[in-house]
Amino acid sequence: MAVRILLVDDHPIVRQGLRTLLEGRPGWEVVGEASDGIEALDKVEDLQPDVVVLDVTMPRMNGLEACRLIQQKRKTSLEVLFVTQHDSPQMMREALDAGARGYVVKSNAARDLLEAVEAVSQHRVFTALARSPHVLSSDS
Amino acid sequence: MKLRILLADDHEIVRRGLCSLLQKREGWEVCGEASDGREAVDMAKQLKPDVVIVDIGMPYLNGLDTTRQLLQLDPNFKVIVLTITDSDQVIREALDAGARGFVLKSDAARDLVAAVEALQSKRMFFTPRVNDLVLAGFLEKGHAISRNEPPDLPTLTAREREVTQLLAEGKSSKEVAVLLNLSTKTVETHRSNIMRKLSLHSIRDLVVYAIKNNIIQIQMPPQLRPSETTVV
Repeated sequence: MAVRILLVDDHPIVRQGLRTLLEGRPGWEVVGEASDGIEALDKVEDLQPDVVVLDVTMPRMNGLEACRLIQQKRKTSLEVLFVTQHDSPQMMREALDAGARGYVVKSNAARDLLEAVEAVSQHRVFTALARSPHVLSSDS
Repeated sequence: MKLRILLADDHEIVRRGLCSLLQKREGWEVCGEASDGREAVDMAKQLKPDVVIVDIGMPYLNGLDTTRQLLQLDPNFKVIVLTITDSDQVIREALDAGARGFVLKSDAARDLVAAVEALQSKRMFFTPRVNDLVLAGFLEKGHAISRNEPPDLPTLTAREREVTQLLAEGKSSKEVAVLLNLSTKTVETHRSNIMRKLSLHSIRDLVVYAIKNNIIQIQMPPQLRPSETTVV
């Protein structure tokens, strides 16, 4: 299945790593990149991705705020997947409350990212914290 | 002959990005990847890379202590430190530890290739802010920032720093003993010495000390909404 992905992280080297991983899947395309929440909003509007892979801590506008605004303003059924340093159940709850469908921790991103993008692109929830080996993946 | 680079970062995603960047250069090869400082030191012993790129914030052994251990092993190792912060203290510690390059992670895509090229040509590479700091130190004191300046705080031994990091990461004395191949009693002795030297009274104090002195790094999350704020 074709999936169009927007990458949002303030570190270009992280975006490069995510891109390398994601573009290995046939049919998946990284259609754009943004380095903060404000740029993400513009790119979502222009590119209409299926999945937005979003960091939490970014300058100008953090990922949680960007996620809320993306959900308010979106015109198509895009989904947000957080990929973040914050291995915290509280932060994960906040992310899901902001409208995200997925949450994975950067330390395990290489392991969890592909499955997470697959799940959220099909509108299924996917969450995995590093501290807990339990992976939650369910239909919403 | 290829330039051989060892990468040390606890995030595989970052290592993939670094690999992708560095291996585009003809004649450069990423000869190994380590996910923590201890692994980096072991791999450096075996692989003898030309350049080692270390993230400052790694578990078990942070990047600064990794740098110190690498240079004790072989003073010819060329180390570039990658960090999310360029605070004065971090810069001084990186220089003090013997790093020959200092690159901000946020600028790695732009600066890392130039940093590796500099080290390949036996030059050093630092971000402009580091250059400013070195120059400021030179002008104020009439000498370059010296590795021999007496520390402001009591000095921990290398082993004590290792134990400090592991305890601050939440490991028990028994777990530390297993990781460092020591007896639990020895670890307890180190722990007592550390607490005494630093006048600390609890593990919480130790964690605060470790954060302030870049032995462990944390990234502060954005402020949660007021209704969700937890007061500790």
